[in-house]
Amino acid sequence: MLAADSAASVIALIAVFVIFTLLNPRFLTSLNINGVVVSTSISTITGLGMTLIIAMRALDLSVGSIMGFSAIVAAQLLAAGLPLWLVIVLGLLIGAGLGLGNGLLIVLLGLPSFVATLASLSMILGGELLITHGETVTIHNAEFARLVIGNVLGYIPAAVLIALVVFAIIWTIFYRVPFGRHVAAIGGDIRAAIGAGINVSRVTLGAFTLIGLCAGLSGLMTGAELQNADSTIGAGSELTAIAVVVIGGTSLMGGRGNLFGTVCAAILLASIKAGLNIANVSSLYEDLVFGSILIIALMVDGLRRGTRRKGMLVV
Amino acid sequence: MAGLVNDVDKPAGDASPAAMRATGMRKQFDGVEVLHGVDLELRAGEVHALLGENGAGKSTIINLLSGRLRPDNGHIELLGQPVSFRNPMSARRAGVSVIAQELEVVPTLTIVENIFLGAEPTSYGLIRWVEARRQVIAVLQELGVATDLNRIVGTMSVADQQLVEIAKAIVGRFRVLIMDEPTSALNLAETERLFKIVRRLRADGVAVLYVSHRLWEVFDLADRVTVLRDGTRIMTDEVARTDLDTVIGAMLGSKSSLAPHAHLPRPAVPAAMTQGPPALQLEAVSCADVLRDICLSVCPGEVVGLAGVLGSGRTELTEAIYGLRNIDAGTVWLNGVVAATSEPKQALCHSVFLLPEDRKLEGIFGHLDVRENVILGYDPAHNPETPPRERGLRPISFAAERTAFDQMRAALGIRCSGPGDRITSLSGGNQQKALFARAALAHPRVLLLSEPTRGVDVGAKEEIYAAIEGFAARGIAILVSSSELSELLRLASRIYVLRAGRLVAEVATAGASEGDILKLMAG
Repeated sequence: MLAADSAASVIALIAVFVIFTLLNPRFLTSLNINGVVVSTSISTITGLGMTLIIAMRALDLSVGSIMGFSAIVAAQLLAAGLPLWLVIVLGLLIGAGLGLGNGLLIVLLGLPSFVATLASLSMILGGELLITHGETVTIHNAEFARLVIGNVLGYIPAAVLIALVVFAIIWTIFYRVPFGRHVAAIGGDIRAAIGAGINVSRVTLGAFTLIGLCAGLSGLMTGAELQNADSTIGAGSELTAIAVVVIGGTSLMGGRGNLFGTVCAAILLASIKAGLNIANVSSLYEDLVFGSILIIALMVDGLRRGTRRKGMLVV
Repeated sequence: MAGLVNDVDKPAGDASPAAMRATGMRKQFDGVEVLHGVDLELRAGEVHALLGENGAGKSTIINLLSGRLRPDNGHIELLGQPVSFRNPMSARRAGVSVIAQELEVVPTLTIVENIFLGAEPTSYGLIRWVEARRQVIAVLQELGVATDLNRIVGTMSVADQQLVEIAKAIVGRFRVLIMDEPTSALNLAETERLFKIVRRLRADGVAVLYVSHRLWEVFDLADRVTVLRDGTRIMTDEVARTDLDTVIGAMLGSKSSLAPHAHLPRPAVPAAMTQGPPALQLEAVSCADVLRDICLSVCPGEVVGLAGVLGSGRTELTEAIYGLRNIDAGTVWLNGVVAATSEPKQALCHSVFLLPEDRKLEGIFGHLDVRENVILGYDPAHNPETPPRERGLRPISFAAERTAFDQMRAALGIRCSGPGDRITSLSGGNQQKALFARAALAHPRVLLLSEPTRGVDVGAKEEIYAAIEGFAARGIAILVSSSELSELLRLASRIYVLRAGRLVAEVATAGASEGDILKLMAG
């Protein structure tokens, strides 16, 4: 089941690797040099959280702002002299707390997730500007950077290991813990989920807290990599996250999630970006290419569900 | 009969003790009481059938017993202990399992995930899928579902999904099983397998409450039967000590003893109209596994009824004629020509119009006002003698629309404060009249009506009947599908009876009684 659902993204990934390597043998080595591996790991982590949200037939537009907020707070706490481990814990808690806040907006006010997280995106971004007065906070902490970009076992960046651990945890939660199946059930048919005795409010809070935690982690990793933090961290990440989920084969109609596909799609997008770069294609074309890939992915999803025949693609 | 009701009050310690006992159940909705203090006792190891016409209160009492609704009054005992269910889950935990009438499976999850949804076996927080599979294999074999447990439920047939729904209810431990129309989507073989399971559960001491419109199932399976009418319990008796006529009599009450509706004056069909070809004629029409070899005809100016229980194919037949369902075999003649209606658009070209069963979902446009709902699709240039054309981009004058709306409002007596009223602010009856107005503006020659008075209050019903008779008087052929037999007897000159997708009888309403038709429907 897992293999069949992910076949398309795996094949696309292999094709991209082969094509770019043929075009330029330096393609594979260039991935690491340019920090592509680290940024891919970071976008994978938010994408994994987003997979659960989309499987629940919801959306979270605030992940980018949560990334920025946790990075900024962490930078300021480090500057204030708090120990690194405590800063990391607090940064993660802030992410989880903001996610929980999104969940509460949705559950208590009955807002659609799209609207609730659009509002919180704006508010969190406003909070960032108030804290920083629009300025960049620098981080001088080599140990913090090493936790993310330091090489493990010779040449694997630590970020990859972090992403692998997150994948293992979320995979277990999604497929092996009742909570994960309840997330999918709510996305598949909320009426049947309620009929089966599932507490929809509690599952919603849990899922949004989890993606908040993922976004908080991504933010900390970005801050550690860049050694500074400002409100541009995470900008646009929500769209990248949604794109990798959809390209990875998870339907926007909810009910199912393809975590492995999400990982493949995150790597796919990053390699296309690196490949275009090394093939001397102007980075101005990147967004054009990504948009086209997203449209193809949505068409494939529509064909698979058979909605194209009726001439409508309800999202 | 009155003496038999006292059976329920036998003291505890009887040979078969009460597994579940509900006493004095009352429930009202919007100030209208629908259940007037009903008592019901389910004994361990019995199949107890619950019967009654639509609206008798069967669903309400099932919802009270399964925790979907809370009673306004009365109490429920489970194995002698008073219980109060907060939600379906607490009822399930206490040992009350329900097979709902509507499918409640998640289409995107697998069979085994659906069966254990909300009650997954876990250890250390992780789901024990191996254990779950082990438990479910035997149940699925018994039900005859031979398929991969990892199959996504949404890819299975409706009957198989229904079997998964049943498996969901009978996996694990429970003392009471409530089955609400469990066989409506099943074929004969599947029904037989289900009966075998029910008999096995009965032997294991489970109390089964069985709700079905198919009376033969009840006499085949049940030990005792309770009949509800208008929210009151009419009888409870052992099946062996009663018969079909008694049960039908209890369901219908005084209505069954009344002389059939022969005394009502019925407008005769003008002879001139019946001489031409029938406006609607079906020859051996079959449709997937829901309709088989249907032959019927409706003449211009004639009102013909369509009767059948839930799942008999009544709704599907009107949908097939209107092009909402593919017809696999057979011929549809409309106004004397063979018609291929694979889309409603084509049916409209043959001047066929359908008023759908679910008015809110398929009929009205809730966000539009009354005028817009009525004139939707209206073409003032349309000559009633010819089929309608695509209106395309040709503009229509507001004045023409307004005139048409005002005419219809007066003719059908649509009560609203003005044409700009939101359609949803109108009563059900007036919404339905607006749909009749839309139909009238399309100049139909064949009008298909599905449950024309559902959710309509008594006063507006008569007005809608008058409207239907008005349509017929203008020479329109009308096919009415309804779950209310009294309505069909009131309106139609003939009634076709459907059972399990087949036409089993054609009854002339003059001289027919509700009981006769009910027997034909039940088989």
